[in-house]
Amino acid sequence: MALTRADIELFLKTLKEISTYDLSDYSENSLKRRIEKLLLDNNTNLQGLIYKISSNKQFVEKIVRDITVNTTELFRDVKTWHKIRYRILPKLAHLEKINILHAGCSSGQEVFSMLILLNELNLFDKTNVYATDLNSEMIEKSKKGLYKFRFNLNYLDNYDKVIKENPFNFDEIRDVPYENYFHIDKDLDIIKMKDFLIKKPTYAVSDLVKNENKFYKKYDLILCRNVLIYFNNDLQNRVLINFHSLLNDNGFIVVGVHERILGEAEEKFIKKSTFYIKK
Amino acid sequence: MKHKAVIIGGSAGSFQVILEILANINKDFPLPIFLSLHRLKHIRSGFLEALSLKSVLPIKEPFDKELIKSKTVYLAPANYHMYIDSGGRFSLSTEPPVNHSRPSIDLSFFSAASKYQNKLIGIILSGANKDGAEGLKQVEKFGGLTIVQDPSESQIPTMPTAALKVTNVDHTYRTKQIIDFLNSLR
Repeated sequence: MALTRADIELFLKTLKEISTYDLSDYSENSLKRRIEKLLLDNNTNLQGLIYKISSNKQFVEKIVRDITVNTTELFRDVKTWHKIRYRILPKLAHLEKINILHAGCSSGQEVFSMLILLNELNLFDKTNVYATDLNSEMIEKSKKGLYKFRFNLNYLDNYDKVIKENPFNFDEIRDVPYENYFHIDKDLDIIKMKDFLIKKPTYAVSDLVKNENKFYKKYDLILCRNVLIYFNNDLQNRVLINFHSLLNDNGFIVVGVHERILGEAEEKFIKKSTFYIKK
Repeated sequence: MKHKAVIIGGSAGSFQVILEILANINKDFPLPIFLSLHRLKHIRSGFLEALSLKSVLPIKEPFDKELIKSKTVYLAPANYHMYIDSGGRFSLSTEPPVNHSRPSIDLSFFSAASKYQNKLIGIILSGANKDGAEGLKQVEKFGGLTIVQDPSESQIPTMPTAALKVTNVDHTYRTKQIIDFLNSLR
């Protein structure tokens, strides 16, 4: 069924009144699409949905989880990981302690990618890795470090490109076995991260809309990739200005390949293709 | 000019048609052109370069929330859905594929139809599935102008045929006619 703007506003207003969730500055088209899909999956109409969220708190959590989008993979966007490896982490290596925040970590593959890379660069011990997501089920999934292998055929290819190969010298191949970091069981169709990686990060459920800082830390690097695309430009700028205040001097922000800082937050950062440095 | 934007959906067999259109459109064609085309998941680069070699208009993949400019061709990035927001910005999304497609032609068309209403021109080209049919129907519903590539000329007629089935289109055109039509807009 096609929803009107008034329908969506009514739903958002109700949700805001009965819960802590404010989706009113989410990106309009994907939000509309997600709500329409929700109605279809729950075999209900807007009135039915509003009635159900008003009367059932657990259902509220479920539908917010269903509205938000979770997409991630190990070493997603190899070029971005090359930038992190060769242009960002070397600039942080001299620090006594490094704090990294994954804002909107989804099921955690990006966190594990970072942990693997940190270990390769001998930065593992002196780095604190923090990760948040709105969705508590995704946080639980991250904490397990256990993924279906079948959907993730790119994993090994991406790993090879970031960890084994040297983009500046194609003759050089570093021999870094997969078993150093994860175990693949093709029969059970799983990929399981090593325990020392799983134990490392600190997680918290957190809503970016609220501009909160669950760890009370300042960060040297914030990764927020393909998360802000679900917000309108105003909210994007509010979140980015908050990130600015959470970054240490000369701290970095990494956004998605097709994301740029556009708006008032622009002047607070120096742009370097898909990453930014705090001014 | 009455119209404000052109949106084109295409899949298998549409690449040459798109090249023809972009190579032969007037270089002062005033409207933004949105391309929602199915691509192979792993071919992320090369496609844009191939189109920009031939295109007389500047062509780019938009960033999320980029403002739409006239006289520019925008290509939906591989593996993202591309929406047109009411405020005149693009929105990208990695929601699951729709009809096995990301970008989904339908989703791009829905959003553009809602934004531009009767000032939109929607065009469906060759393709091997039904994506775009519902989208074009939506363009019609909002009073926009609808064009389908002539199935007899289409390398793979499934997509044009599916669009013709659900939409009472304004024109069924061959590639040359599509180009002439766009160049004749006043």
